[in-house]
Amino acid sequence: MTTATALRPRSELSRAQARVGYLFIIPTSVLYFTFVLAPVVVTAILAFTYFDPLRGTKWVGLDNFIRFFTDRRSLQIFWNTLRFAFFAVTFNVSVGLILALALNRAMPGWLLYFFRLAFFLPVIIAAAFVAIVWSYFYGDDLGVINYYLRLIGLPGVHWLTDSANAMTSILIMDVWKNTGFFMVIFIAALQGVPKNIIEAAVMDGTPAWRRFFRITLPWISPVVFFCNVYCSIGALQVFESIVILTQGGPGDATRSLSILIVEEGFGSYEIGYAAAISVSMTLLILVITGIQQIVSRRLVQQ
Amino acid sequence: MNSALQTQQARRLLNWAIFAVMLALALAMLLPFMWLISMSFRKVSEAYKLPPSFFPSSLDFANYGKVLASRGVPFLQIYLNSVLIAVTVTIGQLITCTLAAFAFARLQFPGRDSLFFVLLIGLMFPAQVTILPIYLGYAKIGLINQPIGLALMYLTSSFGVFLIRQFMVSQPKALEEAALMDGAGYFKIFWRISLPQLRPALSALGIITFTQTWNYYFQAKVLLGKNASMTLPIAMDVLRGYMAAGNLSVVMAAMSMAVLPVILLFLVAQKFVIEGVTMTGIRS
Repeated sequence: MTTATALRPRSELSRAQARVGYLFIIPTSVLYFTFVLAPVVVTAILAFTYFDPLRGTKWVGLDNFIRFFTDRRSLQIFWNTLRFAFFAVTFNVSVGLILALALNRAMPGWLLYFFRLAFFLPVIIAAAFVAIVWSYFYGDDLGVINYYLRLIGLPGVHWLTDSANAMTSILIMDVWKNTGFFMVIFIAALQGVPKNIIEAAVMDGTPAWRRFFRITLPWISPVVFFCNVYCSIGALQVFESIVILTQGGPGDATRSLSILIVEEGFGSYEIGYAAAISVSMTLLILVITGIQQIVSRRLVQQ
Repeated sequence: MNSALQTQQARRLLNWAIFAVMLALALAMLLPFMWLISMSFRKVSEAYKLPPSFFPSSLDFANYGKVLASRGVPFLQIYLNSVLIAVTVTIGQLITCTLAAFAFARLQFPGRDSLFFVLLIGLMFPAQVTILPIYLGYAKIGLINQPIGLALMYLTSSFGVFLIRQFMVSQPKALEEAALMDGAGYFKIFWRISLPQLRPALSALGIITFTQTWNYYFQAKVLLGKNASMTLPIAMDVLRGYMAAGNLSVVMAAMSMAVLPVILLFLVAQKFVIEGVTMTGIRS
């Protein structure tokens, strides 16, 4: 009897809690369903259709996907995106880590503020803005970089107009823009490495590179994997920096999947085909994230 | 003894060398910004003159005036669109994400954890996979070329809920539980106790959201094509083409105005941005 009476107010309490809980998540749930979940499902369905609101949309099965994975041009664009993402992740994360290691030492507060400002400022300014500045830096005849190259007697470089260089130029800008983000995360992670273990290793005369690979790197490895995943998700969507610097050219040398989606979907109005490309791109993101998850679980446990 | 002294000296030297290299790198990182500001003050007739300059030789705001007076690209209207969208989204997310985060962090209800999981999946979906249906839907109800349409899409975010919840979970519950014992309702607890504690997290989310929204390009390019409905990132590219070759300085004047709010925000609140970023990077 006593337990029953004691329980009653508690269950009332939990019912009130549930009511408030559902009430509080209503706005987010409704918006999330309308602008994320439902559109994703609709895109997945559209990917199997030939979309034509005038004459009626037709179910075409896997046709759009077959077209995407057999067309020479789209395969090249797929490969461009993958290659860009691979190098963007490699350089953004490793340069960010090196910068963090360099800054992970005692310094006055204002100096740290300045360093963070300098390296993080490109992160918070839209690529759409800074890419325009870079397009003048990369110019052939009137470009800022070529001016200085010529000044020291070197020939100018066709940064954006030679299909052999264009992707590298976009990558350089990408690392300039994004590596500060990873630097900031790594600085915080490095501060979590226990000092006494490092000091003990120093006492034992362990060389610095060995301390890094044996102690520091294993300790921050979960953060390294987070950075890899985060960077690859962003890099696979690369869009504005390319649109502004090269419009995907020369030829298709720098065209990315996102550009193709916009061109097919909103240029040629091939909604079904564009949907199939976006579904493929999302699956690619999921697969790459999944692989990194599995690899990280293996390595981090060791 | 001697060798120990030597290694100490060598280490100090190395330390200074690293500082010097980092300082040079940091300045190099800033060059594009210095160039853009310096260019915005150059006379149009000298815009392309080499060598390039990284410090303005005079503070002549004529180019700024030209941007504001431009007939082809209604810069003020576009600026206003950007402000409207960024402010709406920031306020919207601060409200919706905080409410949801409170529910997910502090309240018990059936299905809570699976709902949170479904929400987190949203972090994996790029705008590219949601934009087609949103475009088709907006076309039907007349929201294409309406700045508010872009704002609507982002009134909540998985990231925002995640960030605030993460912060809440790391906070002690004692005060909230004490208030509950005293018979306070959940609304009161949320408003009077949880929210004030969340100030750093809310600042971080607010600044990150504002910046992100200010910078949206892909979505804006698809949904806002007409000049008068554009946002700044789209307009810059249009301006570059419209003003054409001779007017590099005018484009840079527009650019300086476009990046100003974000830079100011960062100068004032660097701490919160850095905290927000590291919080997601380290604790997840």
